[in-house]
Amino acid sequence: MIFGARDDGIIVQGATGTQGAFHLDLMNDYARGAGGRGVVAGVTPGKGGQVVHGVPVYDSVREALASHDVVTSVLFVPGKAAGDSIMEAAEAGIELVVAITEHIPVHDTAKAIAYARTCSCSVVGPNSPGILSPGEIKLGIMPAQLFSRGNVGVISRSGTLTYEVVDELTRAGIGQSTVVGIGGDPIIGETFVDVLDRFARDPLTDAVVVIGEVGGNLEEEGAASTDLPIVAYIAGKSAPPEKRMGHAGAIVEGGEGDAASKIRRLEALGVPVAEKPSEIATLVRDLL
Amino acid sequence: MKLLEYEAKEIFINHGIAVPDGVIITQPEEMVLHLHKLGPEVVLKAQVDVGGRGKAGGILMAKSEDAMATANRLFGASIKGMPVDKILVEERLPIEHEYYLSITIDRASKQHLILFAETGGVDIEQTASLRPEAVRKALVHPLLADVPPFLLRRLVGNAPKEIAPVINRLYHVFCEKDALLAEINPLVTTPDGVFAADAKLIIDDNALARQGIHVNRDQTEREREAERHGFSYVELAGSIGVIGNGAGLTMATLDLIEHYRGRAANFLDVGGGAGRERVTHAVRLVAGMPEVQVIVVNLLGGITRCDEVAEGIVDANIPQKVIVRLAGTNEEKGRNILQEHGYMMLDTMEEAVRAAVEAVQ
Repeated sequence: MIFGARDDGIIVQGATGTQGAFHLDLMNDYARGAGGRGVVAGVTPGKGGQVVHGVPVYDSVREALASHDVVTSVLFVPGKAAGDSIMEAAEAGIELVVAITEHIPVHDTAKAIAYARTCSCSVVGPNSPGILSPGEIKLGIMPAQLFSRGNVGVISRSGTLTYEVVDELTRAGIGQSTVVGIGGDPIIGETFVDVLDRFARDPLTDAVVVIGEVGGNLEEEGAASTDLPIVAYIAGKSAPPEKRMGHAGAIVEGGEGDAASKIRRLEALGVPVAEKPSEIATLVRDLL
Repeated sequence: MKLLEYEAKEIFINHGIAVPDGVIITQPEEMVLHLHKLGPEVVLKAQVDVGGRGKAGGILMAKSEDAMATANRLFGASIKGMPVDKILVEERLPIEHEYYLSITIDRASKQHLILFAETGGVDIEQTASLRPEAVRKALVHPLLADVPPFLLRRLVGNAPKEIAPVINRLYHVFCEKDALLAEINPLVTTPDGVFAADAKLIIDDNALARQGIHVNRDQTEREREAERHGFSYVELAGSIGVIGNGAGLTMATLDLIEHYRGRAANFLDVGGGAGRERVTHAVRLVAGMPEVQVIVVNLLGGITRCDEVAEGIVDANIPQKVIVRLAGTNEEKGRNILQEHGYMMLDTMEEAVRAAVEAVQ
């Protein structure tokens, strides 16, 4: 495991919202199956005293931490308030915030991540599907039934495309150590470099699948930073320039961040790049 | 969303950045009252959102007495296919030197990146390749409210020190207006001081509401309708309609279409929790594009209920062929509903894409 441990206490910020409540329950189902502690408290300002799927809700992260032993927060707070919530968690002493929220203004994200760093709090996301270490811990919204335990790590800027790839890996008999959705926004907390570094120190991981997309150059930066065996896939080969392809961060801007140049640079680093998602499992098998 | 030059300049003025005296007009006669204030020569700038506006004929110089005729000509012109309905008429500045200044957010460092170049009026990429020593960069930590003086000194170098406060003011604009890009190219020095001769601001689409912007002009009408339903939508030029859930999976679907030599008509990500009604809206929206001959629906997810999606597709009741790949809960139910109504459901995205490409050939 590269993020957290099975018996870590978790809070959900935004626990009383539809998505927050729904996934709180699914995360606790997973924790029960894995023998973990799961979500011990929820936080929604103004909703303190409520109970969501048997979990007590508090007005603030500090209040939740006064009664519960917690290291991680999974965040479902709406975009305009999410930056503030990340900072609130960091200030209260949370070690890891997994930000599921999409549509956070990028200036808010940049401030919140910079602030969290001053509190030694790591941020995954925003616009992330979360983290799943099969059989150990689930932080976020990934559909657990597609995953299987094994020695391959996955890092992705996407949600459903990750599930597609994980499903293919599982069907090919290739299990996963930890799957991390780092988020589809232009500014994110943990990048490919950071997560690859965590995988390099993880005895359970022997190879990593990097699922990138158009925009920026963090995939290449990650690949250049590690000695781990990597297989990559880049989505958006057909994306027209200057158009945002669903994710705020998926945009070819000023002639930079296009799929062809990313693939060229990855291949120059010796990284096998799958042409189609269905080729990833074969390339991984070749590496192992 | 990109602001037009005159809109960005209004914001600059409010933040103490000097711009040339000017007036915005929607017909030539409107400049009569103002011409005497703008001096013997004026610059007429079409307010259209296209790159390379000057080269495309969107910026014209004129003597004061010829300004009306020039404005008439510019209003009748089309700049890279865009009609001209607003012109910014400005005094012609006595320019001594042109510089380049921009602020963006740097993904790798997660900080604000300021670029200043001793050569302005041309692409920064061009300056960077021809005279790399003329381009200076500074990263500003996002928790800083001002650019620290030592960074300003580093950026300005031997250029006039009056430029330093302009950099700091542009930094304020960048932060307060939720900008993804704030650019002045050229930033000019004159005997009367430093002026922003041009102005470019791109506002974060996720911050438009709090910036008081209610209509995103960068979108087409269909793209706006898609956004009202909570979809991410981009129009493309092909004949295969695409509906997916999740940006990455939808992009991968488009890439597969291209791989099999087909052409996608659009990108549509229905987002999380694709229920019956949302799917109906999405299918109808894509089917409404006249070029679309066939639609691929590629939905995957633990919480997506396939029977609901199938009902949504059937409800849409569109004339074009719909090819479906569904994975999630209640897969069998979904398959039965689709088969009853004559729709094709396939197991993998590759099979679905190949069937769609074959259907339009």
